[in-house]
Amino acid sequence: MDLLVPIAQALLSGVLVGGVYGLLSIGFSLAFGVMRIVNFAHGDLVMYGMYAGVVSAGLGIDPLTIIPISFLLMALLGAAQYMLVFRRFVGRATLQQLLAAIGLGLVLQMLAQIVFGADTRSAPSMFSMRFVTIGPLFVSAAQVVACAIAVLATIGVELLLLRTRWGKAVRAVADDIETAEIVGLSSQAINISAFALACGLAGIAGTVMVTYYPTDPSKGLLLMPIAIIATTIGGLGSIRGSFLGGVFCGVVQQFTAMLWSSALQDVPLYILLLFFIAYRPTGMFGLRTE
Amino acid sequence: MPTGAAIAPRPFAPPRARLRVWPLIPLLLVALLPVLPGVNNYILAVTVRALIFIALGQAWNIVAGIGGLLSLGHGVFLGLGCYVTGILFNDLGVPPWLGVPAGMVVACLVALVMGGMTLRMRGVFFALATVAVSLACDQLARHYVDLTGGDNGLALTFLGTSLWAMQSRSPAPFVYAGLVFVVAFYWITRFILASRFGLEMRAVRDDEVAAAASGVRVFRTKLLGFMISAAMTALAGGLYMQYYQAIDPESAFGLGQAIQLQLPALIGGLGTAAGPILGGALMTVLSEATNWGSTKLGLVGVDILVYGLVLLLVVLWAPGGIVGMLRRR
Repeated sequence: MDLLVPIAQALLSGVLVGGVYGLLSIGFSLAFGVMRIVNFAHGDLVMYGMYAGVVSAGLGIDPLTIIPISFLLMALLGAAQYMLVFRRFVGRATLQQLLAAIGLGLVLQMLAQIVFGADTRSAPSMFSMRFVTIGPLFVSAAQVVACAIAVLATIGVELLLLRTRWGKAVRAVADDIETAEIVGLSSQAINISAFALACGLAGIAGTVMVTYYPTDPSKGLLLMPIAIIATTIGGLGSIRGSFLGGVFCGVVQQFTAMLWSSALQDVPLYILLLFFIAYRPTGMFGLRTE
Repeated sequence: MPTGAAIAPRPFAPPRARLRVWPLIPLLLVALLPVLPGVNNYILAVTVRALIFIALGQAWNIVAGIGGLLSLGHGVFLGLGCYVTGILFNDLGVPPWLGVPAGMVVACLVALVMGGMTLRMRGVFFALATVAVSLACDQLARHYVDLTGGDNGLALTFLGTSLWAMQSRSPAPFVYAGLVFVVAFYWITRFILASRFGLEMRAVRDDEVAAAASGVRVFRTKLLGFMISAAMTALAGGLYMQYYQAIDPESAFGLGQAIQLQLPALIGGLGTAAGPILGGALMTVLSEATNWGSTKLGLVGVDILVYGLVLLLVVLWAPGGIVGMLRRR
């Protein structure tokens, strides 16, 4: 029995943390799945979403209430990024595209550092500092709320892609851009909106995360490997795969922290990534690409 | 680079026949720098920094410029070169004359495993895997404090000026060591570019399928290029360690370092022998200027902002770098 409690605790905390990892991964996965863009600056948009929460908390507004604003701001920033940088790389994840995204990420990170400073900042919501106990298990209320929002957002994106006309158009453009143009779709407009959605999701992920996880300008770069691993394990381009990959990452982190060391909680993930790339590059749910 | 390179190779002049006089002028200038009047230790230190930066850029250029493989993990090989040299020297008293080659061997083995697992896949996966390996090294180096010094890093035991320990109080000897590295790496790059192996690497970079159809063993070529580049990076890492006398996880395995390693080749011109030299020299001047400017303004991180902007501008509007711009004229 005394072994069962820590295992259940690690599993529960892992799933709660991982849900938010899932949310930040689906945006990354969407940009790759639709446009074949590997957006290394995605983590920096999450970081900006976190700072949106910090600013609102500074103004005395609960960070959770500004989620729609954060979504819109990051979506606009994403559309601007697409028009300025990524437009010319659609359809091919080349060395140049990766480098451009890295350059963009550095610029975003350093602008945040100049504007907000390098200090760690937090943004408590009304759920922070409250805890839920389920028998012997113990979780933070802010994490439960964040995970719930992440699950809702993921379901929303899935429905948007599978059930709406817009989603159908996005899938058509992702499948075959030329045929989509022939039947009268504007691939440019669809790509912009899909990229903006991907970036808006990063904004939501950041704002819910900052209610329990303090931020600083380097957090974007630190979260990027999680998005990469979750997406590779889940399958590049698959929305539900990336979400489940994020949950899996959270669980692996918690178990590593419990069994080995919390300072090394990401090492097994990196090793897993290598094995997935070598032996199962389409992930668990991935698209068959090229 | 014409895409038909695999089928109809350009006739290559052997390197010696193309020797011109003008590249010798900066070479002589740098060589005379320590004895010129009015040159202080600041100028010498900046020169050594530039030479190390260029050598690291030349090593990365082999795999990324000639081979077209975006390695974001060359910090791993720099770090292995530094840590292996430093740990052997501090803990076992092994001089860098043996420590640096040991670092190169370790780097080669790591590159063999990394490349063996990921180079059969498309380029994106290779890039993502190299990021993962650097971050794993970063966490491991921070955790195993007894071996690596943890977050604070590893400082070499300083014995005073000594050839045996490759240490010196004045930066002057490092100017010559750096110069030897840059010139040697320049000739290695020229040699590889002119060789059959270099031609195969460029064929793989331009069109993997066409290269395979022409009989190039694609995987083997990529793996060999990656290992050569890793060994050169670890070698330059040995110089880095002897000059700076210290290494820490952030400056070895951090993504910031990985990005800095790419700038000389990208700005100077990917896949060219002269590119990293021009780009590294320009970047050093730029970074000294922005550091000076940002200290005046009291802002932190402006130099990295400039790196990011330069990276973005070069990739979007000058993909050929300085050499590409010069050639277009």
